[in-house]
Amino acid sequence: MTLPGAGPGAVFTELTARLAQTLSRLQQARHVSVGCSAKRAVWSCGKTTLYEYLPLVPAAPRAGTPALLICFALVNRPYVLDLQPERSLVRRLLEGGLPVYLIDWGDPDEGDRAMDLEAYIEQHLGGCVRHILAVRAADTLDLLGVCQGGVLSLCYAALHPQQIGNLITLTAPVDFHTPDNLLAKWVRGLDTTLIAAGGNVPGEVLNALFLALMPLRLAQHKYVRLLAENPDGRTLEDFVRMEKWIYDSPPQAAAALAQFVRWFYQENRLVHSTLEIGGRAVLLRDVRQPLLNLYALHDHIVPASACAPLGALAGSRDYSAAAIATGHIGMYVSRAAGGQIAPRILAWLQQRR
Amino acid sequence: METRSDPPGFRPESAFAEAAGRFFELLKAFGLPSAAQPGDWSRLAAPLAGQFEQWLRMSQAGGPWGAALAAMMPGFGAAAPGAAMPGFGATAMPGFAASTAIPGFGFAMPGFGAPAGAAFGAPPLGPAAAATSDGPRAFELMARLAQVQGQLAAHWSEIANSAAQRFVARLGAAAGPPATVEQALKLYELWVSCAEEAYAATVHKEDYARLQSELANTSAALLVEQRRHAEGVARAFGLPTRSELDALRRELQELRSSLGARQAPAGTAAGAGGGARRRKPPPKPRRPPSGRASRARGGRGSRR
Repeated sequence: MTLPGAGPGAVFTELTARLAQTLSRLQQARHVSVGCSAKRAVWSCGKTTLYEYLPLVPAAPRAGTPALLICFALVNRPYVLDLQPERSLVRRLLEGGLPVYLIDWGDPDEGDRAMDLEAYIEQHLGGCVRHILAVRAADTLDLLGVCQGGVLSLCYAALHPQQIGNLITLTAPVDFHTPDNLLAKWVRGLDTTLIAAGGNVPGEVLNALFLALMPLRLAQHKYVRLLAENPDGRTLEDFVRMEKWIYDSPPQAAAALAQFVRWFYQENRLVHSTLEIGGRAVLLRDVRQPLLNLYALHDHIVPASACAPLGALAGSRDYSAAAIATGHIGMYVSRAAGGQIAPRILAWLQQRR
Repeated sequence: METRSDPPGFRPESAFAEAAGRFFELLKAFGLPSAAQPGDWSRLAAPLAGQFEQWLRMSQAGGPWGAALAAMMPGFGAAAPGAAMPGFGATAMPGFAASTAIPGFGFAMPGFGAPAGAAFGAPPLGPAAAATSDGPRAFELMARLAQVQGQLAAHWSEIANSAAQRFVARLGAAAGPPATVEQALKLYELWVSCAEEAYAATVHKEDYARLQSELANTSAALLVEQRRHAEGVARAFGLPTRSELDALRRELQELRSSLGARQAPAGTAAGAGGGARRRKPPPKPRRPPSGRASRARGGRGSRR
C-alpha cells in the first residue's frame, strides 16, 4: 500500500511498521470461529430455531430451576451473547446453574415477507415458550429480552402473564420519542407502506443505518485504534469476531419491520398504550411480573432515556433497574459489563426463587 | 464453536488499510513529517474540512438506503450519486439489453440487441408498452433522489467546516506537529471527537432527519417501481409474478389455518403450534410439509 506523504519521519516509519504487522495479524485472524457453548436445536417454526444450551457439568441446574429463555433482536445474530468463553453472557448464566434457551430467528426469505409481529410474537416466541413449558412440565419460565427482543418480550409478557415468572430486559427501548434518539428521528418520516411493499430489507441496510449514527467513530476510528494499541494476535481475533458479528445481520421480513418502525418508532405505541397484537391490547401496565431492566448509559442505538421509563410504565411492583457505564454492544461483550450483568441477573433471580 | 461464512461487508483487512490510509493523509495535513509553524493551526482548517467532506460524500452518499438499493438492485451504486439512472442500466436486468431511452426500462428480447418493438417494427405492445408507461415515473424518482442527495451534501459541507473549526479552536496554542506516534494518535482522537460533535449537531436537526426519510422513501419507491416493471415483464412472458405467488401463499395459509382449526382438539389455542417442529423427541410423527410449502408457511396457522 502506498502511504500518502510517507517520508523519512520517525512517526511514519513506526506507523508503517505497525500497519504491516497489524494487517498480517488481521489476515491470520480472519477465520475465527464464534459461539462457544454447546447447544442443541430443540424446536423450530419457519426460520426460527429454539436452542437449548447443554449444562456445564460442575454447574448443572438443580431440578426444578425455572428455565431462562433469551429472546434476542430480529436485526442481529444472537451469537454475540456467546461469542467466546471469556466474553459470553450465556456461559456466565450456565455457570450460575440456569437452564438456558435461546431463540435464533434465522434468515427470513422472500416467502416470509408477510411475516408480521403477531407471527413473531405469538407463533414463534410463543411457540418457544410453550415448548419449554411442555418439556419441562413447568407453569412458568423466566424471559430475558435483549434490545428489540426486549420489546417483543414485553409484549409477550403483557399478553401471557401466566407463562412468564420473571422478566429481564437488556437495552430494551420503551419510549422511542426521547430527544436523543437519533435513529427514531431519522425513521420518523419513513413511509412504512413502501417498506412493506418493497419486500424483505437486507441486513446491509440496517448495518449502514447503525454505522451512519456515528460514522467516523464506527467506520474509521476503531481501525485506527488498532494502530495505536498495536494489539497481539489474540486481541485481533477478538476484534475480528466482533467485526464478523457487526456485519452479520439477517434480512428483515418486510411486514414485521414496517410494523416495528410504525408502531414503535413513529407512533410510540407502548408509551401511549395504543399497541395491539392480534387484536389484543398490549399494555405495559399488564406487565406485573418481577422486572429487571438493564441498560447502557452510552448507548448510541438505544439511548438510556428510551429504556429508563419502563419502571414508570410497567405494572410490576417488583421493579429493579441498573444503568451500566458502557455502550450498546459493550453490554453484550465488554469484559467490564460482562462482569456486572450476569452476576446481577443471577442474584436478582436467586432472590425471587 | 461455530464457523460462519463471511457476511457481506465483512472485510477487516481492507477496512483497516483504508482507514489507516486516511489516517496517514490526516497526519500529512497535521504537518507530519514537515514542521508547521508552531502554534499556528488555523491553516489546517481548510484541508481538514475538505478531506472530511470528501469522506462524508463518499461514505454517506446514498445514506443507509443506498445500501438497500445496492443490495436489491444489482448495479445501483455503480454510478456516481446524481448520475442519470444508476442501477437501471443493463446490469439491473442481467441478460437483457437495455434501450437507450430509459436504461433498464426499455425492455429487449433476450438475444436481441434492440428493444423488441424496434427490432420487428411492431407497435409497443406487451413489455415494450409497459416500459413506455414506467419510464417517466422512474426518471422522476431518480431526479428526486439526486435532488435529495444534493441537499444532504450541503449538510456534509456544514459538518466538515464545523468540525475543522472546532478542532482548530481546541488545539489553541498547542505546540507544533506531533513528534511521536502517541502524540499523533492523541491529535487524531481530538479530531474524531470534534468531527463527531459537529456531525451530531447537524444530523439531529429536523431538516436533516426529514431528508434522510425522504431519501429512504424515494429509494424504496424506486425499488417498488422496478419490481412493478418486472411484474409487467413477467406477465408478458407468461411467468408467475411476485404478487401471484404472494396471493397463493396467502391462500395456502388460510387453508392451513382452516385445516388446523378443524383438526385442533377443543381448547387448544389457535396458532399455538404455528407449524412448529419439535426437534427432539418428535411428539407424534406426522407427514412434514414439502420444503417449498414449509418455507412459504412462515410459521403461521395452527397445526395442533
